[in-house]
Amino acid sequence: MRVLLVEDDAILSAGIARALRAERFAVDIAANGEDGGHLGATELYDAAVLDLGLPKRDGVSVLRDWRAADRRLPVLILTARDGWSEKVAGFKAGADDYLTKPFRMEELVMRLRALVRRAAGHAAPQITCGPLTFDAQLGQFELDGLPLRLTAFEWRVLSTLALRKEAVIERAELIERVYEGDADVDSNSIEVIIGRLRKKLDAAMIETVRGRGYRLTGGAA
Amino acid sequence: MRIWPRSLFGRLLGSATLTTIAALAFAAFAIGHMLERFVTRGLDQQLDAQVLVLARAVRPDGSLDRARAISLPAFEEQGSGWGWRVDSPTKRWAHGAAFAAPPERQPPAPPPDRGEGAAAGLRPHPAEGRDERGDHVHLRRLVVPSGAGPVLVTAGGPRRIAIAHLREAMAPLLGSLALLGGALALATILQLRLGLRPLRRLLAELGEVRAGRLRQISTDQPAEIAPLAAELNALIEQSEAGLAHARRHVSNLAHGLKTPLAALGVRLTEPGRDPDGSLADMVAQIDDRVRHHLGRARAAAPGGTQRARAELAPAITDLTAALERIHAERPIRVACEVAADLVVAVDPQDLDEMAGNLLDNAWRHARSAIRIAAQAMSGLVELSIEDDGRCLSDVAIGEALMPGRRLDERGDGHGFGLSIAQELAELNGGALSLDRSPVLAGLRVALTLPSPRSPRRLDRRPMVGRPGAGIPKTLCLLLPSG
Repeated sequence: MRVLLVEDDAILSAGIARALRAERFAVDIAANGEDGGHLGATELYDAAVLDLGLPKRDGVSVLRDWRAADRRLPVLILTARDGWSEKVAGFKAGADDYLTKPFRMEELVMRLRALVRRAAGHAAPQITCGPLTFDAQLGQFELDGLPLRLTAFEWRVLSTLALRKEAVIERAELIERVYEGDADVDSNSIEVIIGRLRKKLDAAMIETVRGRGYRLTGGAA
Repeated sequence: MRIWPRSLFGRLLGSATLTTIAALAFAAFAIGHMLERFVTRGLDQQLDAQVLVLARAVRPDGSLDRARAISLPAFEEQGSGWGWRVDSPTKRWAHGAAFAAPPERQPPAPPPDRGEGAAAGLRPHPAEGRDERGDHVHLRRLVVPSGAGPVLVTAGGPRRIAIAHLREAMAPLLGSLALLGGALALATILQLRLGLRPLRRLLAELGEVRAGRLRQISTDQPAEIAPLAAELNALIEQSEAGLAHARRHVSNLAHGLKTPLAALGVRLTEPGRDPDGSLADMVAQIDDRVRHHLGRARAAAPGGTQRARAELAPAITDLTAALERIHAERPIRVACEVAADLVVAVDPQDLDEMAGNLLDNAWRHARSAIRIAAQAMSGLVELSIEDDGRCLSDVAIGEALMPGRRLDERGDGHGFGLSIAQELAELNGGALSLDRSPVLAGLRVALTLPSPRSPRRLDRRPMVGRPGAGIPKTLCLLLPSG
């Protein structure tokens, strides 16, 4: 899962990014409204955390432009402005959630996970695919009832596949959702990760669709 | 008792009355004097005629030629009070009513010589005498020089005739002057009422501005008040600008404090920085204090006179849409019955703040259902929000809205929302009440707010300087009302 974090306070954004990465998110940081608007409009993110009081461009106008350009990524507004009029304005501009500073990091993580899960169309927190269970709320995988240990990259790939289980995920999209913007991506990286995942799961669960991408399936061929 | 009245009306009326009385008194005096002279002149003419006739009858040696001393008809009447006498140094002739002739004190200044002879060209001069009863007699006298010395020719008429004439004329004169004075006084009072009406109107408009129904005083004022109205409008704008500045300052403060606090909170989640979570608790406490005071600062500087008008239904719709997303993890059924035409006389931001806090509370406590309803009742609009969660006990309900009570100390989750909503409600002339919901068995919150058309304000505390409080009662009676 890749998240865009648009926040101008450097200490706060570094802290949030660190905490999110610890929860295995990939995080891209933008420090002003222009950069953030551009990134959100051109790159593929699972969610965005958007501050409102930004230099160069206000957060609400960035959000409006995203929605006008049909960017559907879930947006959580994170701001000091806690008046209800401002919250209503944020939602009207297209926000999906609203957190006021200061906040509890766990709440931010939970809300982000919930946003991503709902955007993928899952109402319930638990996603089951054959022997694999994904608790989208806690971000944990279980295989046959036992916790599955994954690296950050493996987790990102598997969660992307699990959220859209039984659907084909393009290889290019996988790359976008797994690596941060400035990461050095080897042409082979995804294949390596998929290979490792197949070892941890039942190999038949991850299907290669030639020329397109991969699909997570319940295992029955 | 003060002599100089405090009210403009009193002062203007007083000075107008004084000047009118002075003018009327002067008029009475002047007219009376003119009348007296007029009446006296008629008398004098008659007396002078008699005196001149007698003067021509005086022989150069000082004796009177009786054949030529003709008495005019008035002097012939018995008991008429008219009479004449001629006094030479040696002899005395008289006819008609008798009177004592005063001695000639000073010879009158000789008139300029017109070259017409000694007797002719002389004009009689006035004198005062008394008759037998001691009454005043009006005399006209001529001194004719003769061989024997100065001969005094005096004719007199009863003063009472003149006075009677005078009295006859003065009565209607004084009567009409009194009537005139009364009419002037009435006209003055009406003019003052009319003239001071703009002041009353100005006062009413100021009251409307304070109540939030008007943005500023109309500039269509009489020339003397127009600068005052302009200054008042400038003052109102200054005050509004001050409020807007304060609000901006408050939100800037929020931004300034909260982001570093958030950064601190996030830093503390790094492993090892806050092993027992006590530092995070402190951050949470600071956050609570900041929220509390910012909420109170926002309540203390409400929108006020700027735009005291908000449509209820769209605000509720927007808020429920936002809350449904905020609490998307807990599906709650919302039944909303708010008529589309309900309007409240409250700043839209304040309405969002009140309703938003109350609805957020309801969402947090509801198990599965929330009911929102609104109805208009005689100048007020009541918004009720019910949830099916656990209701506060009756004791807690009684305590919850006590003034000054910090609900955030209760820690039961109802926190700031209720106290902020209550403060804002009261500042906007409304009220908040709690009870048990009959339909959903949870808490029912009723928010009552004034509506713009003929609003009723539920003022719990007296407003300092209520408009209209300073007008003395008498002025109220005399000034046009409304």
